[in-house]
Amino acid sequence: MSQTSRLASGGLVDRGRPLSFTFDGARYEGFAGDTLAAALLANGQRLVGRSFKYHRPRGILSAGPEEPNALVELRAGARREPNTKATTIELYDGLAADSQHRWPSLKGDLLAVNSLLSPFLPAGFYYKTFMWPASFWEKVYEPMIRRAAGLGRASGVSDPDHYEKATAHCDVLVIGSGPAGLMAALSAGRAGARVILCEEDFRLGGRCLAEDRRIGDSRASAWAETVERQLAAMPEVRIMRRTAVCGTYDGGAYLALERVNDHLPVPPAHEPRQRLWHIIARQSVLAAGGVERPLVFGGNDKPGVMLAASLRSYVNRFAVAPGQRAVVFANNDDARRTVADLRKAGVAVEALVDPRPDAAKPGDLRLIQGVVTSAKGGRSLEGVEILGGDGKAESIACDLLAMSGGWNPSIQLSNHLGGAPVWDETLAAFLAGPLPAGMQVVGTAAGSLSLADCLRNGGEAGAKAAEACGFTAAPEPVPSVERDSNAVSPLWRVKGSRGKAFVDFQNDVTTKDVELAEREGYRSVEHLKRYTTLGMATDQGRTANVNGLALMAELTRRSIPETGATRFRPPYAPIAIGALAGHHRGKDFRPTRLPPSHQWAEARGAVFVETGMWLRAQWYPLPGEKDWQTSVDREVKQVREAVGVCDVSTLGKIDVQGTDAGAFLDRLYCNTFSTLAVGKARYGLMLREDGLVMDDGTTSRLAQDRFFMTTTTANAAKVMQHMEFCHQVLWPELDVQMVSVSEQWAQFSIAGPRSRDVLQRIVDAPDAIANDAMPYLGVKDLTVLGGIRARLFRISFSGEMAYELSLPARYGDAAIRALMEAGREFGIIPYGTEALGVMRVEKGHVAGNELNGQTTAGDLGLGRMMSSKKDYIGRVMAGRPGLVDPDRPRFTGFKPVNKADRLRAGAHFIAQGAEATAKNDQGFMTSVAHSPILGHWIGLGLLAHATERMGEVVRACDPLRGGEVLVEVCDPVFYDPKGERLHG
Amino acid sequence: MAEAAAARSALEGLHRPGRHGKAEGAPGVTLAELQGIGLASVIVRKGKAAQASEAAKRSFGVDLPETPRRAEGKGIEFLWAGPGQWLALSRDGLSAGELEARLAPVFAGLASVAEQSDGRTVLRIAGPKARDVLAKGLPIDLHPRAFRPGDTALTVAALIGAQIWQVDEVPTYELAVFRGFALSFWHFLTESAAEYGWEIR
Amino acid sequence: MRIKCPYCGERGNEEFAYHGDATVKRPDGRIPAAGDDAAFQAWMDYVYLRDNPMGVHRELWYHASGCHAWLVVTRDVRNHAISAVEPVKP
Repeated sequence: MSQTSRLASGGLVDRGRPLSFTFDGARYEGFAGDTLAAALLANGQRLVGRSFKYHRPRGILSAGPEEPNALVELRAGARREPNTKATTIELYDGLAADSQHRWPSLKGDLLAVNSLLSPFLPAGFYYKTFMWPASFWEKVYEPMIRRAAGLGRASGVSDPDHYEKATAHCDVLVIGSGPAGLMAALSAGRAGARVILCEEDFRLGGRCLAEDRRIGDSRASAWAETVERQLAAMPEVRIMRRTAVCGTYDGGAYLALERVNDHLPVPPAHEPRQRLWHIIARQSVLAAGGVERPLVFGGNDKPGVMLAASLRSYVNRFAVAPGQRAVVFANNDDARRTVADLRKAGVAVEALVDPRPDAAKPGDLRLIQGVVTSAKGGRSLEGVEILGGDGKAESIACDLLAMSGGWNPSIQLSNHLGGAPVWDETLAAFLAGPLPAGMQVVGTAAGSLSLADCLRNGGEAGAKAAEACGFTAAPEPVPSVERDSNAVSPLWRVKGSRGKAFVDFQNDVTTKDVELAEREGYRSVEHLKRYTTLGMATDQGRTANVNGLALMAELTRRSIPETGATRFRPPYAPIAIGALAGHHRGKDFRPTRLPPSHQWAEARGAVFVETGMWLRAQWYPLPGEKDWQTSVDREVKQVREAVGVCDVSTLGKIDVQGTDAGAFLDRLYCNTFSTLAVGKARYGLMLREDGLVMDDGTTSRLAQDRFFMTTTTANAAKVMQHMEFCHQVLWPELDVQMVSVSEQWAQFSIAGPRSRDVLQRIVDAPDAIANDAMPYLGVKDLTVLGGIRARLFRISFSGEMAYELSLPARYGDAAIRALMEAGREFGIIPYGTEALGVMRVEKGHVAGNELNGQTTAGDLGLGRMMSSKKDYIGRVMAGRPGLVDPDRPRFTGFKPVNKADRLRAGAHFIAQGAEATAKNDQGFMTSVAHSPILGHWIGLGLLAHATERMGEVVRACDPLRGGEVLVEVCDPVFYDPKGERLHG
Repeated sequence: MAEAAAARSALEGLHRPGRHGKAEGAPGVTLAELQGIGLASVIVRKGKAAQASEAAKRSFGVDLPETPRRAEGKGIEFLWAGPGQWLALSRDGLSAGELEARLAPVFAGLASVAEQSDGRTVLRIAGPKARDVLAKGLPIDLHPRAFRPGDTALTVAALIGAQIWQVDEVPTYELAVFRGFALSFWHFLTESAAEYGWEIR
Repeated sequence: MRIKCPYCGERGNEEFAYHGDATVKRPDGRIPAAGDDAAFQAWMDYVYLRDNPMGVHRELWYHASGCHAWLVVTRDVRNHAISAVEPVKP
């Protein structure tokens, strides 16, 4: 028989749309409009999980996101999601959920033995118990604890769905769509403001849906529907259902998670599962409502003990009567509503237990002035024990206990920027303290428990927010509502309770744990939290924090404000990592930048490497080559013997113009550019203001007032920012303009003894680049391939005669193909960044490994470049004693004494005979390469007093990878030391 | 001529006419890569703002915008690109380098001009869902009250630097991104548009 | 945090790069004479030393993803309230 606990009529579920679902493999039926929790209760299923530590049977405590107990694994396979709250899962046809944290089954959980062991599992037990022997931690204790504890299981496979991020802007953000939120949205919307109304639930209305009340002439839920229709008709109002605002940030920024398709088994094609929103709002109205507090007494976690207002939700919204015989236990006037609603649903209410001496008798119902000391039962509630104010104890059989300890306003989002909450004695609750700029708090979130106040305050706040955005606004007229009474008298725990009285259900923290924390000195609220784990579970202590704090206050005989305040950090609700990543996962984790020859290189089978965001060809393997080194050795040899081409478009390129362009570059670089002749290139070295090397590159003079500057690939953006700083902040008087042209130009290095031969095949006027016409460091504008405007630089990084050909990026693909074609007869090959690196090590050129942010120009043997005739960035600080200390390690070369030895970058140099200690460290190897020309490994590095130690043998110690190699100190230029090959 | 045959877009091969993503109903947006766009940076020289503006007025009949706006002149548009900076745009199918060659004499001594036609890929997105698609990557407010035809902004889209401007109230937007990022940006755009359906005409 | 660029309008701080104290001034570029400790100390102060007052700072931000302007942002570091944003370039 299905839906035994469903009421015959009423509620906001659609009885015409039955939905089938499974829980732990058993098939059930619910209705459209149900949550999973409502549907389980409708089917009489009240045991839904086991507790975290003691594996106690747990049911459904609440009807919303505060739920600590009813956590389930939703869906199966790759879409399995652990720790989802049954109270917020919108039922869909075919939903499959499993209880979690039980073994082997929910009903017969063997780990429930933990409950018997509980004297040995007090707060902080793992700090004390699993300490010795230390070696047991990793192999024994941790795996054991992990199996026994923890919550649901992750799917373990890649998430097949996609997620998105998006930004929305508005004048007024309204958070929560209860009576206050709806009135706020309506008032702001009518004024013409751009309003976003976010509701975590799949249905608008908040408590309007849960209470059997009237607003104006209609039922509260019908009123909410009417307002929703009005809002939907306003073009500037955006209603976002299933959207939880999770964080408040500076400047009116909010983070919200929209569960776009979590209510479907599989998202429709092309649609995301969830979308993470950045909402930028000029004003906000926090109308997030409140969370009812549980009462703390023995056995308050038994399935069947529920929060009273949540019970009203199940009765009124979902048309479910979760029991037959109920007792109501409350310290406030809301209890009358609970009694009335339960009775209307046909639940026999045995008694109202109210600790307040002045509690008024509710009609014909039996009132017991007293407390519930214990809830009895195994997997389900069977009865309660009551202690009257007169000292008389009695038992009442029941299967339902509605408890209410008063309300905690949901002020989390008001507190994310740090404003401490303020204790309100009358309400016995924390209210929002200093608010984030532009935020107002209304409704229950602001401590208003009367419906009339919620409606009025909401409308006023909406109008005020719209006015603050420049609109003329008036609060919506407040519909008439019945007066309500909301007096509350705190009851933080029941003295004389029997059995475990839970403060934090999800983390199994009891009153005894809090007492222990107090005895052991963990009395500050922060210590209490960390020691007992109170409030640290996935529900973030929504139902636990205030009770725990109040209990500690009582134990330490302090007031609640003296004891501390609950503080909140984002996110208000858990956010899946997938949602945080959005589009940026897999190949889109971050953007990829492709140089102009990429498609060509890809087709050629190149192996790529990421350098910054760029994807560059690392080497081009040929069929039959056994490893990368074979390919790289071939590429190097072929360049040195014939010719090769490499895409160097990734270099940063900056167009610098203006009458003071030369003067500006003089201040930017440590060497001089104002004297550079038009049509010439020069290597430049740039320091940071602290005197250390920042970047290097070649800069050419295209005209008297125009330079073309290049930076390393890695530093392109950093150098541009630095130049803008130098210009705008330091020397605004200079007439200089700079702009990045990095992507405008495809740039190819053509290197090797036959490079000119190749180029002359594609240059329209071959004579113009003859050796005499275009010597080393010459720069020329010319045309190639029948009229394409291009620029040729005669510069070399490889030590060979070499050119860099620069042409509009649209022709990059054509150019590499043309170069390969033209070079075929000369044996041209494409080479990648590895071969480029090997050749620069062979030539002793510094690169990223040497420009590591710790080296000076002097360290790198480039001290002579530092002009003494001008001011430039880093000039003064480069002269500090520590940076010109002759003991500083200096750049030099290394070769292995035994030519078969492999060198390792990162190895440290130790003098022979000295012990390999940090004290005896004399520097380290920065770069190594296998030189195919020399037939052995070579290295570059920094060594103390290197210039005086040529020929000395030192130890290159590599303790990290193990091993030690004897190396001879040598000149860093291993190949063509006189530089004759450059000149062709 | 040979030149035209050899040019290659960064989105070569991807830009095929047809309907993609959600197949039902009218497409949410149409996407297009604009071909034959000429671009150049124009940056005013120190103390020459007024003269540069006069030169633009004289040669192209346009006031150089001093706020983030797009101004249309004779055969050329100027998009504000920072204080004293513009991105000049021509839709005349100029050859590589030609826009700089045209502008340099106009602004000689008044502004520095640098060709950028090849440095950017320019895309157009138009249709009723254009704002929803762009909201998935652009942090700026494109609501008609905040961003109108003729407005432009330099910002970041899906972690990629971009300049956007609105063309009309359809709405139609055009975006320029660095050429090397074009493929990544295209992935973002098409993935974001898929739920509404997109079309290349 | 949101920064109102005087050129581009209000943007998220992710578009900007932070560069610290805007009130420090670069000393002139002459190499201090031997023994001119004050001149040398001025350089050390400029490059390394920064005050960290609790309250209002004037600091440099670069609109890296926007107009590339360097800006002076007046910000209260206690609550990130920004009272002024001005271009650094006159």
